[in-house]
Formats: sequence, structure tokens, C-alpha cells
Amino acid sequence: MSKRREGPRWGWMVLTIWGAFAFLPILYFASIALRPRNEIIAPQPIYFPTLTIETWAKIWNEWPIGLYFYNSIVAITGSVFICLILGVPCAYALARYKFKGNADIGNYILSTKMMAPAAVVVPMFFLFGKLGLIDSVWALMLVYAAMNLSIVVWIVRSYMIDIHPEIEDAARTDGAGDLRILWEIIIPMCLPGIITAGVIAAIFAMNEYLFTLIIASKNAYPLSVALANFSGGSDGIIYNAIALVGFLAFFPALLLVISIQNHLSRGLTMGAVKG
Amino acid sequence: MTATTRPPLRRRSPFMRKAFPYLMVAPTCIYLLGITLWPGIFALYRSLYTGKFDWHQSKNFVGFENYSILFGDQHFWIAIWNTLLLGSITLAIEFAIALFLAALVYRSPWVKGWRILFMLPMLFMPSAVGYLWKLIFNDGRVMADLMNRVGLVDGGVDWMAHTFNARFVLVLTDVWQWTPFLFIILVAGLQGQDKEIEEAARLDGASFGKMFWNISFPLLRPVIAIALVLRGIDLLNNMSAVNIITQGSPAGRTETLSFFIYRTAFRSFDQGYASAASVLLLVVTIILAQVLVRKFFRSGTET
Repeated sequence: MSKRREGPRWGWMVLTIWGAFAFLPILYFASIALRPRNEIIAPQPIYFPTLTIETWAKIWNEWPIGLYFYNSIVAITGSVFICLILGVPCAYALARYKFKGNADIGNYILSTKMMAPAAVVVPMFFLFGKLGLIDSVWALMLVYAAMNLSIVVWIVRSYMIDIHPEIEDAARTDGAGDLRILWEIIIPMCLPGIITAGVIAAIFAMNEYLFTLIIASKNAYPLSVALANFSGGSDGIIYNAIALVGFLAFFPALLLVISIQNHLSRGLTMGAVKG
Repeated sequence: MTATTRPPLRRRSPFMRKAFPYLMVAPTCIYLLGITLWPGIFALYRSLYTGKFDWHQSKNFVGFENYSILFGDQHFWIAIWNTLLLGSITLAIEFAIALFLAALVYRSPWVKGWRILFMLPMLFMPSAVGYLWKLIFNDGRVMADLMNRVGLVDGGVDWMAHTFNARFVLVLTDVWQWTPFLFIILVAGLQGQDKEIEEAARLDGASFGKMFWNISFPLLRPVIAIALVLRGIDLLNNMSAVNIITQGSPAGRTETLSFFIYRTAFRSFDQGYASAASVLLLVVTIILAQVLVRKFFRSGTET
């Protein structure tokens, strides 16, 4: 009889090595967040520092970390809302209606995802300058939404295609209008897809760097760019503040991703790879 | 008017029925045109002028001079070369590791646990990851210390002064953070495959490696293509690690195209010149996107 092995015997060793490579830097980063400033950059690296959270109070007092966090939350949730409000009807039309240009419009929307942000960063800077939105959370919200709209449309569309059209046909014979079908049948049925799209959009928005760097200059700093602020002066780069802010963004992301972990690959590939 | 036995279907006028899907997609399309078409036109226009933020007051039309300078600018070509070189090396390494790990794990009962463990680096902001590896390599001297302890080198290592070292840091940073992206997609692709084919191959006495290479891997190709396209595009746009860790040093040898545009526009304030580079990049990405979208994302378009 064949041995029921799931892979080579040494497999777990390889996995453990990669797991250690993935995890140890995070552990080191966590220790950076917890150690006093003079133990970060030493002639010999210190692997077992004195752990303290005293510096947190100092960091909290010196920088408006609450404001950075607030900016991130406002810009990200706002952008996710814009994406869903614009994207869900669009996805529904692309998934269900036969109209001239359906495939072309879908492809155009997807192709914006492939566009290099650097190619439009200069015009965007002038645009927001003209609108008076430089260093404004609203500008970040609009940019994040623009960046993620294509992803949201394609993820949601892929989930909508999976819903059996007969359910809608039944509702239509009962006299329900198109918008009511969307609202009362389609949206509840593809809610996992909508949540997945929202989570992916939120995480990508949190990670965004280039646009954020040129738009935010002081008041609108979200977490991703506020990090760069923790430098200069006699202290050099203040790594424990950076680590603290890094983890401040990490834990919400972890919770969000665990909540959609079975939809993750589908979300990351914009619906192309299910599972 | 005769009374119908059934309630009348709510039907709009023929015009509304035709227009309805277009009305649903219009807001998204207009919004997206605002970040693609409009910036493209503006960049083209702006690239014909020199001057800084105040270029409106002192309009200095130079025609295509920015382009001709750009084509002769070796920093521009080096940036393109770096982008392609670093991108392809990083992508190849990430793919090889991700495929290997995915092959080992996809039928394991612990796959969810491994996936969460491997995924952790991906959940940090790229800017935070940039600082983390800057600290490990450069400022905290951790990597040199570890290499000393195992006897690889003697004394300090200057990670930023040598082209190879600086590029190595950037590649490693990206591999650490983004290998799980490919891993997650490949695992999902493999899990979606028919278990019975594997079982049959196993009963025929094929080893795990042979089975994977001859059966699972060929079936995985469409998934691999999508994963590589998505990761490849992100790699071409890589700029946060460059900006945080190397700033393009030594001598522009780690400068990517995205960083070149950013530096020209917002450090040297030569926005006409940066716009010229933007226009070229935009043209390339538009062509690339058309090809990639049509080739790899067709699944389910014909409903």
C-alpha cells in the first residue's frame, strides 16, 4: 500500500526555517518598541535589552501619535466607503448586464490597477494644490479610494458572478426593481466578497506611501508616512517610536486579515484565484 | 386597459433600460479617468515647460527639450535598468521560495497556521519594514554582528557603499515582506486542484516531488501567471524601501524609476523634467496593462 504522506519528511524543517526567518525580525522589532533609546543603537547590538514601556509615555508626549492614528482611520475608512459606494453598483452592472462595452469597461477599470503611481504623482500634486488639499486628510481619502476602486470592483464582481441568476429572475418576476434586487438580494448574498474587498482596500490604503509622502506634510500625516517624521535632531532616527507606530498599524491589519483569511487569495488576486 | 392577473413587472422605458448599466458604471469610470486620463494629459502638457512650482507665472515653453535631455540622461537609464534588474531578481527569488513552501504545505493539516505565520511580515506597512531592515543592516549593525559570530566576515560590513550590498539589502527586504503574497496565492491555487489526480499518481507509485512537478505544477500555470503579474507590477513601482533604506546610493545604483521621478520632482523640484519621465512611464504602463489584462484576467468575463 502507498504511504499516505503529505510531502517529504524534511518538509517541516524547511517550513520552520522560513517561519523563523519571517518571525525573528518581528520579534526584534517588538523588542525595539520596548527598549530604552540608548539600547537601540549600540556598538554591539543588544539582543536581550531591558524591556520597559517608559519610553512610550515620552514618545506619546513628543509626537501627536493619536493624531496620526486618527488621520489613518479617517482617510482609510473614508476611502473604503467611497470604493464600496461607487464600486458595488459598478461591479453589479459588469457582472450581470449585457451591454455594449461591458468587457472593455471592465478591462479599463482593471488596467488602472496596473498603472504606475509614480507616473501620475506629479499631476496629482498639482491637482491637490489647486484644490487646496495639500496636507489634507481628504486628499488622502480621495487618492486611496482611486487607488483601490479597481480592486474593489473586480473582487465584488467575481463574487457576484458566482450567484445564481435564477434567484434574481425569481425576484424580478415578483416585481422587484433592479436596484431593489441589488440591495435586498445581491448585496447580502455576496457580503463576504464585499467585506473581503473592503479589508484588502483598507490594508492597501494603510500601506500607501508615495502619494501620502507628497500630500501629507504635517497635519495630515497618517501612520505610514509619520514614521519618517521620527528622525532628525540629535537623536537620529528614533527607532522605538517607529516600531511602536509600526505595531500600531500591524495589529488592526492582523485582525482584519484573520477575519477574511479564507477569502484572502481571492481578494489579493482580484477574484481571479478562488480559495 | 385590462386588468392583469399578475402585478405588472416594473419596467422602465426602453431608453432607461439601455442606459441603466451605463449609469451604474459611470461614477467609477469618471473617478478613474480623473486619476488616469487627466493626469496623463496634464503630465504631457507640463513636460513641455520648465520651471518649478511657480511655473504658471513664468511660463517657459521648451517643447520637447525635456525629453531629449531625458534620453541622454544616464541616471534615467540606470534607474530603468535598476528597476528591471532588482525587480526580476526579487521576483524570481520570491517565486522560487513561495512555490517551494506552497508545495510543502498545501495538503498539510496545519496549512492555516503556517499561512498566518508566513503572512505576518506582509501586514506591516512597507515604510515600517524599510526602517526595520535599515536598522538590522545599517544602523543597528545586527546583520554584520551575526555574520561575525558565524565567522562569515571579520569586522564591520558597509552595506550602503557597495552596489551589490545595497541591492542585496533591498532584495532581502522585499523578499522578507512579499514572499507570502505569492505563497498565499499559490497555496490557494494548489488547494483548488483535484485531490484525486494526486491520489491516483500516488497509487501509481509516483514520489511526492515527481507528482508535484509533473501534475500539480503544470495545472498551476494560470495561477502562477496571475500571481507573478500582480507581484511584478508592485515590484516595478517599488519606491518606499529605496527612499527609506538607500536613497539610491551608492551613486544611483539602487535608484528605481519611481524613485527617480519622485526625486526629480520633489527634491530637485524639476517638475517639467519629472513629467517627461512620467509620460514615458505612463505610455509603457498603458501598453503593458492592456496586454496583461487581456491575457491573464479573462476568467469569467463572458458571463
